[in-house]
Amino acid sequence: MSKKELGLGLLLIIIGGITAALNPLFLSGVNLLNMANLIGLFGVFSIGQGLIIITGGIDLSVGSMFALLGVIFIDLLVNYELAWPLALLVVLAMGLVLGLLHGLLVTRLKLQPFVVTLCGLLIYRGIARYYTNDATMGFGYATNLDTLTWLASGRSFGIPHPFIILLIVAVAMYVLLHRSVFGRYIYAVGRNEEAARHSGINTNAVIAGAYLIGGGLAGLSAVMLVFYTSSVSPSSFGNFYELYAIAAAVLGGCSLRGGEGSILGIVLGTILLQILQNLVNILGIPSSLNFAVMGSVILLGVIADQQLGKRKQARALSRSQGVAPAPAE
Amino acid sequence: MLLELDGIGKTYPGVRALDDVSLTLHAGEVLGLIGENGAGKSTLMKVLGGVVPPSTGQIRLNGRSYDRLTVAEAQAEGIAFVHQELNLFDNIDVAGNILFGREPLRGGPLQLVDRKAAAEQVLPLLRRLGADFAPHTPVAELSIAQRQLVEIAKALVANARIIILDEPTSSLTLSETARLLTIVGELRASGTAIIYITHRLGEIIDCADRVVCLRDGKMAGALPHEEITHANMIRLMIGRELRALYTPPARPPGEGGLSVKGLVTSAFPHKQVDLRIRPGEIVGLAGLVGSGRTSLARALFGIDPPLGGEVLLDGQAVRISSPKDAVAAGIYLVPEDRKKDGLVLDMPIAENITLANLHHHARAGLVDRGAERRTAEAQGKALRIKAPGMEVAAGTLSGGNQQKVVLGKWLSMEPRVILFDEPTRGIDVGAKGEIYALMRALADRGVAILMISSDMEEVIGVSDRIVVMHEGRISGALQRDAFSEKAVLRLAIGQDGEAAES
Amino acid sequence: MKRRSLLAMPAVLGLGAALPASGFAQEKRTLAFVVNVSADFWTICRRGIEKANREHPDFNMEMIVPGQASAAEQRRIVDELLARKVAGIAISPINPANSTDMLNRAASQAVLFTSDSDAPNSNRAVYIGTDNVAAGREAGKQMKRALPNGGKAMLFVGTMDADNARERVQGIREELQGGNINIIDIRTDESDIARAQRNVEDTLARYADIDLLVGLWAYNTPQIYQAVKGAGKEGKVKVVGFDEDALTLRGIADGTIESTVVQQPFEFGYQSMIGMVKYLNGDRSFIPASKQIIIPTRIIDKSNVSEFQAQMRELLRGR
Repeated sequence: MSKKELGLGLLLIIIGGITAALNPLFLSGVNLLNMANLIGLFGVFSIGQGLIIITGGIDLSVGSMFALLGVIFIDLLVNYELAWPLALLVVLAMGLVLGLLHGLLVTRLKLQPFVVTLCGLLIYRGIARYYTNDATMGFGYATNLDTLTWLASGRSFGIPHPFIILLIVAVAMYVLLHRSVFGRYIYAVGRNEEAARHSGINTNAVIAGAYLIGGGLAGLSAVMLVFYTSSVSPSSFGNFYELYAIAAAVLGGCSLRGGEGSILGIVLGTILLQILQNLVNILGIPSSLNFAVMGSVILLGVIADQQLGKRKQARALSRSQGVAPAPAE
Repeated sequence: MLLELDGIGKTYPGVRALDDVSLTLHAGEVLGLIGENGAGKSTLMKVLGGVVPPSTGQIRLNGRSYDRLTVAEAQAEGIAFVHQELNLFDNIDVAGNILFGREPLRGGPLQLVDRKAAAEQVLPLLRRLGADFAPHTPVAELSIAQRQLVEIAKALVANARIIILDEPTSSLTLSETARLLTIVGELRASGTAIIYITHRLGEIIDCADRVVCLRDGKMAGALPHEEITHANMIRLMIGRELRALYTPPARPPGEGGLSVKGLVTSAFPHKQVDLRIRPGEIVGLAGLVGSGRTSLARALFGIDPPLGGEVLLDGQAVRISSPKDAVAAGIYLVPEDRKKDGLVLDMPIAENITLANLHHHARAGLVDRGAERRTAEAQGKALRIKAPGMEVAAGTLSGGNQQKVVLGKWLSMEPRVILFDEPTRGIDVGAKGEIYALMRALADRGVAILMISSDMEEVIGVSDRIVVMHEGRISGALQRDAFSEKAVLRLAIGQDGEAAES
Repeated sequence: MKRRSLLAMPAVLGLGAALPASGFAQEKRTLAFVVNVSADFWTICRRGIEKANREHPDFNMEMIVPGQASAAEQRRIVDELLARKVAGIAISPINPANSTDMLNRAASQAVLFTSDSDAPNSNRAVYIGTDNVAAGREAGKQMKRALPNGGKAMLFVGTMDADNARERVQGIREELQGGNINIIDIRTDESDIARAQRNVEDTLARYADIDLLVGLWAYNTPQIYQAVKGAGKEGKVKVVGFDEDALTLRGIADGTIESTVVQQPFEFGYQSMIGMVKYLNGDRSFIPASKQIIIPTRIIDKSNVSEFQAQMRELLRGR
C-alpha cells in the first residue's frame, strides 16, 4: 500500500467516522450493504477508466455507452427474446468493440483521446435515443430473466453481487496492472510513450489494449446498471457517469498526465465517492448540495495530496543533495 | 570592473551548493566557466540572474553592491542569459521574440504591434550576428543554432553588458559552433563581457581569455589565457590527470556485423546510404546536425522505418519496421535525448533495465520480480551505476548514471549492434571516460558499434573508423591514421574526394 | 411510430434515415410538440398526436424530445422550429418563469400552446394540461388514505426547480395542512435514475420508522418500488406515486403501491394538436376565459389497475 492509498484510506475513515458519529445508522448493515452494491456498480467501470487514464488517455464516452448498450441489451432480451447468456455476450462484445474502436482511433489515426471519446459520448447517446425513439425501455413483461437478474443484482451470503463482481474484477485487474508484463507496459507507455517505443514495446497495442479492457468493463457495468434501475431512459441513463469514474480514478491517485495510479486507489476513490453521496442522504443534507459536497471533498483531497507530494519531493531533494552536492544542473 | 562576486555561498538544507566563490569579470572579456555536473555552475549563475538568493557574500555590479539580486535588478544591470534549454516562443516570429515585452506600438486605443518598425529594429541586429533568416520567420522554422542567435539578439536588444552562455553548443554542429565562437569574439570586441559555460574544453581554448573552474561548490582554481590547455582544465575539474581517450581494440574486427545497402530514410527520400559496421569496431559517425545521422539511426532502429534498401546482419537480411523488430534482431539504440526517449524517468532503475526484455523476466505473463532484481543488480554492479538502490526512480540519477541505465537495458540482452546517438551529451568528464570504456569493452565482446557524435574530440578520440555524412548521404570515411579535425570537417561540409578513403 | 429495428442500425448513420421524411413536404404546415425530457409519458402523448394527425392529414405533426432536460436545449429547439417556420408549437416548458421571452418570441411567429407545464405570464394562446397543484392535492388525498392515522412521509423527485415538482408539492402540502402526516424531506436526484433508487435505499436505511414514500416524477415511483422490494419492506412502507410506469402499475397490482395519480398525456397531445388546427383555422371558441384547459387526473389503485394496464399496453404497443 503506497502513501497515497494510505492517505485516501485515512480520509475514508475520517469521513466515515464523522458521519457515523453524527448518525450511527451510517454503519447499519442495511446501509453498508446498499453502499457496497453501489460501490460495485460504479467501481467496475471506474477501474476501466483508471487503466485508460494511466496510459495517458481518457474515456468520456462511458456514460453514453451505458445508455446505448443498455437499450440494446433490453431490446435483445425483451423484444428479440434472445437467451440471456447470448444477450449478455453480445453486450459485452459490443463494449469491447467500442473500446477497441476508441483505441484504434487514438493509436492508428493519432487522434486525441479526449476528442475521440467526446465524440463517442455524443454519438452513442444520439444513437441510443434514436434507436428507442426517446422512449424509456424497461423489462416490462419479459420472463426467464430470473437467473440473470439474480446474477447481476442479487445477493449471496447477504453480499450484493455487484460488489462481488467488483472484487473479482479488481483482483484480476490488480494482477494485470501490477504484476503482469502488460501492466508494466501500461505504466511505461503512460509515463513515457517514446521511451517505451524505444525499448521495442508495441505501444499502440498496449494503448489499444487498455481501451479494449475499458470498453469490456463498461459493457459489464452497463448490464449491472440496467438491472439496478430496471429501465433505461436513453437521454439520461448514465449521464455524468464518466465523470464519476474520472473523479474516482483521480481521487485514487491516477494522474491525468498518465503513468500513475493503482487499482486499490481507484477502488478506494470509488468508495469515497459513494460514501459522499450516501452521507448527504444519511445526514439529511439537502440533496441540492450533493454535487457541491462531492466537488469540495475531491478538491480538498487533491490539494492535500499535492501538498504532501511537494513535501515528500523536498525531502527527497535534500536527501539526494546530501549525496551529490548542489541542485541538478 | 563590470562584475565582482565576493565570497558567494549558498546553503540548501543539509547541502552546501556554493562555498566562498569569488570571481571578477571585466568588460570585453570572455570568462570560461568549467566544472563537472553538480559542481555549482548553475547555482552560481542562478545567483547572478537573481533566481536564487545567496546565503553569504556580496555581488558588485557597475559599482553598486548587492546582498542579493532580484530578477528585475539583474536585468536592469544588463545581465542576460542564453540558456541550454532555449526560452523562445516558437509560435511567434523572430522579431516578436527578440522584442518581446518591448514591442514598438502603432499607438491608438488598440495598441497594435507595429510589425514593420519591429522588423526594422531587428534587422541590423540579425545582420550583425550574421543570421541568415528574416525578422518575420516563425521561430518554429529555425534550427537550434538559429534560435540561439535569436536568444543572443534578445540579449543585445536588452542592452546586456554581461551575456551568460550556458552550454551554447551542445546542440550545434561543428560549423555552427565555429560561427558562434566568431560571434562571441565580435561581442567581446564591442565590449560585452561573456561568461561561457561548457563541457567542451576545445571551445574554451578557442575563445576564453580566462578560465574559472568550480569543483564541489568551491573554486578549484583559475587559469590565465596562456595556461588554458586540456590537461590543465581536466586536472582542475576532476582533481587528477585523465588518461588518453583512445583505447585500441583487443583484436581486429570480425566478419559479418551490420551492413546497410541502399538504405533510404524518410528524411532524405532521394538519397541512399551504404554502411558497414563490423563486430568489434567502433565506427564514429560525424556530420552536421541535420546531415541525416540521427535519421539513419532512427531508420535502422525502426522508429522511422526505412523507405527502401536492405539491412543485413551477419549476412542475413532483417526486416525492420518497428523498434520491436530491431530489438528482436539485436540492434539497439542509445538515443540522443535519453530523458525523452531512453528512460522512463519516474520508473525504478530496475524496471527501466528490464523494460525491453520483460518477457524474459516473466512467467505466464506475470513479472518475476526476483529475476528482475537479479538482472538489475548485475547490471548495476557491472556498469557501476551510482544509486542508493535499483528501486529508486531513474530520474533521480545524474546524467552519466542515467546513460548507464540506458546501456544496462541493452547489455542485459544480447546486443549485436548498438547505435549510440550523442552518447556523452550533458555528461561530465569523469563519467564520459567510463562510457567510452564501456563502449570499447562491448566492441571487444564482438558488438558492432556506431557512435554518432558532434563532439570532435570524441569522434577522433574514440572511433576506430570515422564515417561522415552530408545531406543525407555518406560523404566519406576515414581510417584512424587519417583522422584529423580538418579532414572530418571537410567531409562534413560536402568536400569529399581527396580525403575520402574506404 | 415503431421501434427501430436492430438491423436498421447501420442506416441510422446514413443522413437520410435520420431526417424526418415529411420535412421535405413544403406545402404541408407543421405543428410541433416540444416535450421536456424523454419518458413513456410522452410516448402516450405521441399516440394522441398521431390520432390528431390521422384526423388532419393535411398537417405534419411531430414531437421533439430534447437531449438534455435543460431550458437552454429547449430554447435552441424552439429557435430552430421558428427558423423552419412551423405553424404551431405546443411546448412543455422546462423553466416557464424565465422562458417568457423565448415563449413570446415563439408566440409572435407561430401559434403557441403550453402543455403539461404552464407559463401564464407569456403570450401563449392556451394551456392544455394538468393542474399540478390539483394533482398534488389528489396525491395528498391518497397519502391520507394510505395513512389514516398519520405518520412520516418522504418525497422523491428529480429536481425541485421544475414547476410541476413545486406545484405538486404545494398541492400535497395544502391537502395535508393540519393533518398528522409529516413530510420529513424531499430528496432530489437530478434525473439520475440510479441515484433516485439510492435516495430511497438511503431513506429506508436512515429512517426505520418511515411510513410513506411518494414519487413525484414518473421514474421515481418504480425506483421506490424496487428499493422497497429490495429492502423487503413491502407492506410496512406505503407508497403513493405519480404517472403510469409499467413497474408502478405492477406495484399497484401486487399491492406494494397504494395508488398513483395519473395524468392523461394522450389528451395533452390530442387536444393540443386539434386545438392548434382549430386556432389556425380561426376558431378560438374552445379557449376558455382563463386560457387554461385542465385535463383532469385519474387515480389508479388496485380496483382499476388491470383495466388501466391493458389500456396502456394497447397505447404503447409497437413502440
